[in-house]
Amino acid sequence: MTNFNLDAFVADLESLRSEVEQTLSKVSDVESLETARVAFLGAKNGRLKAIQKGLSKLGREDKPAGGKQFNAIKKTVESLFSQTSVRMESPSKGAKAIEQIDVTLPGSSIRFGSVHPITQTIRRVSSIMSNLGFEVVDGPEVEDQWHNFEALAIPDEHPARDPLDNFYINVANFDRPVLLRSQTSTVQIRVMEHRKPPLRIVSLGRVYRPDTADATHYPMFHQVEGLLIEPGTTMAHLKSVLRSFASSFLGGDVRVRFRPSFFPFTEPSVEVDMEWNGRWIEMGGAGMVDPAVLASVGYDPNEVCGFAFGLGVERIAARRFGVADIRDFYRNDIRFLEQFHDRGQA
Amino acid sequence: MIVSLDWLADYVDLPAVDSLTERLLLSGLNHESTKSVHDDTAVDLEVTSNRSDCLGHIGVAREVSVLFQQPLKIPTASLSHTEEAHSVSVNIDSTEFCPFYSARVIRGVKVGESPEWLARRLEAVGIASVNNIVDVTNYVMLECGQPLHAFDLNRLRGEEITVRRAQEGELFVAINHREYELNSEMCVIADARQAVAIAGVMGGAETEIRSETVDVFIESAQFAPLPVRYAARTLVLGSQSSYRFERGPDPAAVEWASCRAVSLILEIAGGSLVSPPVRVGKLNSSQATVDLRMHRVEEVLGVSIPSQRQREILQSLGFVEQDSSAEVSRWLVPSWRRDCTREVDLIEEVARIEGYDVVPEDVPITALPVQRSSRERLVRIVSETCVAAGFCEAMTRSVVGDNFEKFNSPWGTAPALICRPPLVQGADRLRRTLLPSLLEARESSLSSGASHGDLFEIAHCYLGCDRKSEMPKDNAPIEEPLLLGLVTGGDFFRGKGLAAAIFERLGIHEWASEEVPKEHSGNNFGVTYHPLNSTIMQQGRSAEILFHAPGVVSRRVGVIGEFSKEFMGMCKSEKQSVGVEIRLDGLEFLMNCESNLSSPSSYPSIDRDINLVVDESVSWGSLRTAIESTQCDELEDVQFGGIWRDEDRLGRGKKSVIVSVRLRSCRETLSAEQANSFVEAMISICQTRLGAVLRG
Repeated sequence: MTNFNLDAFVADLESLRSEVEQTLSKVSDVESLETARVAFLGAKNGRLKAIQKGLSKLGREDKPAGGKQFNAIKKTVESLFSQTSVRMESPSKGAKAIEQIDVTLPGSSIRFGSVHPITQTIRRVSSIMSNLGFEVVDGPEVEDQWHNFEALAIPDEHPARDPLDNFYINVANFDRPVLLRSQTSTVQIRVMEHRKPPLRIVSLGRVYRPDTADATHYPMFHQVEGLLIEPGTTMAHLKSVLRSFASSFLGGDVRVRFRPSFFPFTEPSVEVDMEWNGRWIEMGGAGMVDPAVLASVGYDPNEVCGFAFGLGVERIAARRFGVADIRDFYRNDIRFLEQFHDRGQA
Repeated sequence: MIVSLDWLADYVDLPAVDSLTERLLLSGLNHESTKSVHDDTAVDLEVTSNRSDCLGHIGVAREVSVLFQQPLKIPTASLSHTEEAHSVSVNIDSTEFCPFYSARVIRGVKVGESPEWLARRLEAVGIASVNNIVDVTNYVMLECGQPLHAFDLNRLRGEEITVRRAQEGELFVAINHREYELNSEMCVIADARQAVAIAGVMGGAETEIRSETVDVFIESAQFAPLPVRYAARTLVLGSQSSYRFERGPDPAAVEWASCRAVSLILEIAGGSLVSPPVRVGKLNSSQATVDLRMHRVEEVLGVSIPSQRQREILQSLGFVEQDSSAEVSRWLVPSWRRDCTREVDLIEEVARIEGYDVVPEDVPITALPVQRSSRERLVRIVSETCVAAGFCEAMTRSVVGDNFEKFNSPWGTAPALICRPPLVQGADRLRRTLLPSLLEARESSLSSGASHGDLFEIAHCYLGCDRKSEMPKDNAPIEEPLLLGLVTGGDFFRGKGLAAAIFERLGIHEWASEEVPKEHSGNNFGVTYHPLNSTIMQQGRSAEILFHAPGVVSRRVGVIGEFSKEFMGMCKSEKQSVGVEIRLDGLEFLMNCESNLSSPSSYPSIDRDINLVVDESVSWGSLRTAIESTQCDELEDVQFGGIWRDEDRLGRGKKSVIVSVRLRSCRETLSAEQANSFVEAMISICQTRLGAVLRG
């Protein structure tokens, strides 16, 4: 029975406290606060006083616990009253009552920008390639014919050199023709001219070809080109590296397929397809570095060999982000750009 | 190259279409499309520029015969009984343009519609039927890849046909009945009076085959690729013929095609062949021999292919083994495969017929540690800073219109380089600053309703050098600074805040003067801001930023400013915008600088505001310089506290500047007396140097 009494006593205290909380939350002026104070804490007929009387009715062994509970609640209730009284006093001192906030209103905005989807794609590709030991290099966009053509085994009569297929630039006081590079392989030539094998590099950046702009073409675009020169390199290494790349880029174990193709600077040359959602899609071109290219940078083709590959960044980005028209990448409409949240993949 | 399967089946037994196109795709003839035409199937195959042998049905049939190991049946083209009579002679003026020319004359043909089989086959591959003579020449071209041309013999003037360079300005009416103006880089076939065909490109209207034609002159020749391509491109007159001559048909087909066409014409249109045929020049028909070391195939492909299989593939492709040992075999390259001149070309042939699916895809390469270059890291950090500041990255074109030519570049005085053709219509100047493109992009974003127009771009600009001596050694004489450009709304101070944030992120502080300040913050690199004179930016509301490092000549590293009215007008911009451009190349070394750390003092600081009245011309920078020059070790920080002007109380041309200084010692708690004496020293130096007066 005595236990029951203690429980009932504690329950009374708790319900008193919650009543006080409720009452005080509705109190809006000093008068009603005073009324509430008399009702709960009044020395004569206050509710707390009434409960205190119950303390004496508790069994001897329950009294200490009951007293402790009583004091705790008394302290809480008194402090609730004093807080409310502070709240009531403020307006009289000229300050406003604490405004109750509509928490569904918008917060102060903090705006972040965004990284261009082409940059995100380039970063992703170069990060995967650097995990495979390839170092990122860059070089000039305005090139001479040696680096853009001749060293890449593209002879004078090759259609790729047609003035109508390139952006030639007229430079006063300079005897050699120069042009906006049509491929980033130029950078590979520059690196090979200055460094000895072994080499693993990716060159990337803007390239230019006079294509009429449409959903899949733009006269300015980006290429990522990889080059590996190490003794004993075979097409099996090329296929394995591209498979690692594709698997890392797309996730999962992705198959790659080679189709024979033709590029002046590689022999054999292949188109590389990767399997994406059950379909083969074109990824880029690749091949073993043509012996003529190795010779042109002063390497001995009987001593060294390697592979090269190139990827069109716009094509990969368009597919990855589901962009139907690559011209969107160059319209620079913020409503387009701000959608590309970096996912931290590179 | 569109292939009719009905036609192809004349030369080789065909498998099912899907299996055919799949195998061709994996051996080098990319499958573009398949469609039905009447009872036939037309398959469009992409032929790479080195494979002119596949620009005829026989060439494609040869690939099929090799891939499916079926015999190849090539029709014979031999001519019998002919009538002897001399008719026309041919003279080659330029053997460089035309090494070999052959012609046959048929008299008494009956020009009319082609038989149905011929018209249908041409239709299937997308060629309109013209008449039986023209159709035969097209048919034979699509059969073996050698273009032919038929002239109406009786419309050729004079007794001699000449193959010569066109004269400058020579006029020519092609069979499309349009007139073209030629030049001496083009090669023509001419009669006694005029050009009757552009060699290898297109015949002329005057001598075309008509219904009343009775005698025909069939041309089969070798023309050099370059003049053919030049004429076709320059005149925008590409044809099936020019396409093939640009890629070099099989020399052995020149004579074969001529005979084949004649025999088909005799069969279809009647008439009689006049002999002997005309043959002028020397057929360029050299055939290479190439040695193949059998072990090289595995060294290149990474998979072993038995030497017997290698031989089998090459033989089936038409290569003839001439000499061999166990290790090396010597091969005569077939006339139609002039793209094969080296051992590696033969290896590719073996690989593509065997199929690249035999190449393993699980051969590891060794691990190799790599580091991001300092350029990459610099660009990454700058880009992250801009994104954090709320800017979206733009990618604008490297080329702008000539309307920006009158605005000077912050980076050089040489005029913009011009590219030909223009990158896009109206844009042919390589840009010398990113700001015009960025401001235009900002305007177009804002006008299309974007929530903001804050853009940045990290890209190169292109500067021609004024003098030869400035040319970088090994490169083109062009400098390509790497720039960061930012555009946003607001005034100069918004721009300067951005620039300062970026520099701080790179560890570069704003110095009060160009002298190296007392080292208290870690490194020795600083920037100072100076009034800028530029047409892009508003004078008086723009600055150049100079970069200073000990032992190095100070250089411009950036510009900031509100855009000038004129420049904004050019970019169709109405709202006040501010631009920042910072040159990043040359700052890469910062990525490898460790900062000198110091432990913060645990003693309290004393903050004092000093209210100084100075002349309007005294800059904040000079006040800061003066205060810092007191060499007070306890001076932790100097901040701009505000500016106030009041002619009545301060006097005309005066301003009151609040300088907030923070004093702190790393050894003790400063007393108010100590602080007062430091502040007094500061006031006194400002007085002597700048005429500053402490405002009471």
